[in-house]
Amino acid sequence: MVADLTIDRPTVLERNSDYWVGRFESMASPCEVLMRVDDELLAKKLLHAATTEAWRIEQKYSRYREDNIVFQINSAGGEAVQVDPETAQILDFAFQCHELSGGLFDISSGILGRAWRFNSTSTRPSNDLIESLLPLIGLGKAEWLSSSLMLTLPAQMQIDLGGIGKEYAVDRTLSLLSKLSQAPVLVNFGGDIVCSNNPDSDSPWRIGIEDPESPNDAQQLLELSSGALATSGNTQRYLIANGRRYGHVLNPSTGWPIEAAPLSITVAEENCTRAGMLATFAMLQGENAEHFLDQQGVKYWVVR
Amino acid sequence: MQLKQPNGKITNLLAAAACSLLNQTSTAQEVPGWYLDSAVLGYSEKDRVDAVEPVISATRIFEDGRKLNLTFVADSLTGASPNGATISDSPQTFTRPSGRGTYVTDAGDLPLDDTFKDSRTALSVQYEFPLNRLTRLSTGLAYSDEYDYTSIGFNATLARDFNLKNTTVSLGIAYAIDSIEPEGGLPVPLASTSLPWDQQRQGSDDDKTVLDFLVGVTQIINRQTLMQLNYSYSQSDGYLTDPFKILSLTDGITGETSGYVYDSRPDTREKHSVYWKTKYSRNNGDIVDVSYRYLWDDWDIASHTIDARYRLNLSEKFYVEPHVRYYNQEAAGFFAHSLVSGQALPVNASADYRLGAFNGITIGSKFGYRLNDRSEINFRVETYEQQGDTVGNPIGIQNNYELFPDLEATIIQVGYSYRF
Amino acid sequence: MKKAIPVFFMCLILGACSQLGIQPWERGILAQEDMQLVSDPIEARLDDHIYFSKEASSGGSSFGGGGCGCN
Repeated sequence: MVADLTIDRPTVLERNSDYWVGRFESMASPCEVLMRVDDELLAKKLLHAATTEAWRIEQKYSRYREDNIVFQINSAGGEAVQVDPETAQILDFAFQCHELSGGLFDISSGILGRAWRFNSTSTRPSNDLIESLLPLIGLGKAEWLSSSLMLTLPAQMQIDLGGIGKEYAVDRTLSLLSKLSQAPVLVNFGGDIVCSNNPDSDSPWRIGIEDPESPNDAQQLLELSSGALATSGNTQRYLIANGRRYGHVLNPSTGWPIEAAPLSITVAEENCTRAGMLATFAMLQGENAEHFLDQQGVKYWVVR
Repeated sequence: MQLKQPNGKITNLLAAAACSLLNQTSTAQEVPGWYLDSAVLGYSEKDRVDAVEPVISATRIFEDGRKLNLTFVADSLTGASPNGATISDSPQTFTRPSGRGTYVTDAGDLPLDDTFKDSRTALSVQYEFPLNRLTRLSTGLAYSDEYDYTSIGFNATLARDFNLKNTTVSLGIAYAIDSIEPEGGLPVPLASTSLPWDQQRQGSDDDKTVLDFLVGVTQIINRQTLMQLNYSYSQSDGYLTDPFKILSLTDGITGETSGYVYDSRPDTREKHSVYWKTKYSRNNGDIVDVSYRYLWDDWDIASHTIDARYRLNLSEKFYVEPHVRYYNQEAAGFFAHSLVSGQALPVNASADYRLGAFNGITIGSKFGYRLNDRSEINFRVETYEQQGDTVGNPIGIQNNYELFPDLEATIIQVGYSYRF
Repeated sequence: MKKAIPVFFMCLILGACSQLGIQPWERGILAQEDMQLVSDPIEARLDDHIYFSKEASSGGSSFGGGGCGCN
């Protein structure tokens, strides 16, 4: 029996200078919701809505559970699986991003995690192991019938929606909170951030971008009064073998880390889903990340 | 065909993809859970009808977008209602519609039938479910029961979203079968009330069917504005006459009443209406809600309805919503305040004030207060007035009286909503 | 050829996104309960009943008001 992730998890609500902050944990990240409201009841209500949605998405799309749609798909053994409309939208998006990235963004590449474990004790995997996994990667091998909501993966292939889920949860949560109140709110799930549009407000949200060298200090302070920020890359996740540093961003067609990928990329965009995907795409460009981002005409911060 | 590496500008394509991913929130309220809404309406006319109407409604919204609603309404009515006869210079005696007993209206007074006492219970079920990501079907059953009246209805509406859910097109159909069985039987249309009882009655019950079609478009204009445009067609067939209404037969020169005949209406009615509504959220959070309806039918009735509300959000918890409604109606072709005695009777005739020409004005306000994050109470108080126009030329003494029975009513409603 | 279809489909979406209307993440205001077309269904139902029984017109906004011997 796996624990129900949607109930009985701790939340904290605190009063700050001119806003309330609600904190909780979801998707293995610290999450917070900032709400510029006076009323504690309203803040409670908003926080409740945020946790409900974040935990719902976590439970539904976590690949560590055996009671959700991701598990159904991954254990279908080559059979077609009918998905619900929400999952269908996410799959549509994943397939479109796969096209847009020329195959570099691939939700079936998570299986490479069996070879690459990025922590201090890891070693470089063997070529044989990587070669053995490559046949199981590639969304082009999957059949997705968007109209009838049927997904067929070849047996043993698996998908992982982690690369979309958190940003999606951030945008969904903001949209839910906006239904409940027009007060300015900011949603931050582990550094993926979106805030409600409040162009009239003369007090924008202040956000620090973390410096990987000294994660406890805010490196750069920026003001956000609308839109979203998302970060790809994690400075803790790399391994060094034979004097070479391997980043955690893997190329699904080779099974090897993308060369010369930045440590982290943060992109500002209209919503978190777009920001997150652009940051991921840029990461997959390796040494061309900045060039790619310049082409897109978005605001970004790259740490190398 | 392998696509090139994303070295071009892909932001627009990515934006489109993300746009369709995040486009799951339709405009409908869709936070899953149980919703309980209840209200009691008090409706009180000056010197006439009083009604109390409690409603309780439970809605379950499922996570996958399905929606189930159960609504129960009770309704109890007491008091007097104009019977259709005109005011006279002498006292008038009427037989009660049941045939049992009589009542007397004094000279100079509006004849009111004070036997109105009825209670109604109605139950309806509505179930909405997605057919696919863009299409929803809503179907419902309604049942209503009174002492002398029963109605069973069915409805279905198909709604489809277009243009990234900025446009919704709805197609609906509704069908109802109503049956009436008044105490004392059904009167013979246009029969004199002075005929022997068995000669002025024909049968004990009858029924009518009502078929409605609705085509609607809802369009999101911008972040703050929503618009709706509907066309409806309604066809009623069967017994459309009011068995409780009569018309006075008056002298063609003096206007004095000499007798009464029963109401008579065509057995079909075709009704059309065009309805337009706009909701606009101002920058300060206040909401403007305006609608207009033009309705016309083959009884020559035409009406304009303008309804305006302004929701003033005074705080996070408290709102005030002033409301004004203006209604103007042209009389049915067969409407007459009275008929001239001795002249040939028309095929159809009714003195029912609701088929006459009048303006209706509603003015009032609603007040809402959120008790906590789950419940809200609200209170509404309004006045409703009807001011009639005289149809045709008054005869003799009719010039001394107001032929349309003007109406003044107060509407009070207390509501409570709770979300589980 | 199989892969060209999603891209074409997205171009269509993009076209639609830029027409009359708003982006999905701009629905905050319209999604609020008091911005629903019928923000208080109970009140609307009671009003339909009142005016159905006192006037010769009914309906228009939805199927409403009937099923009553009051008119």
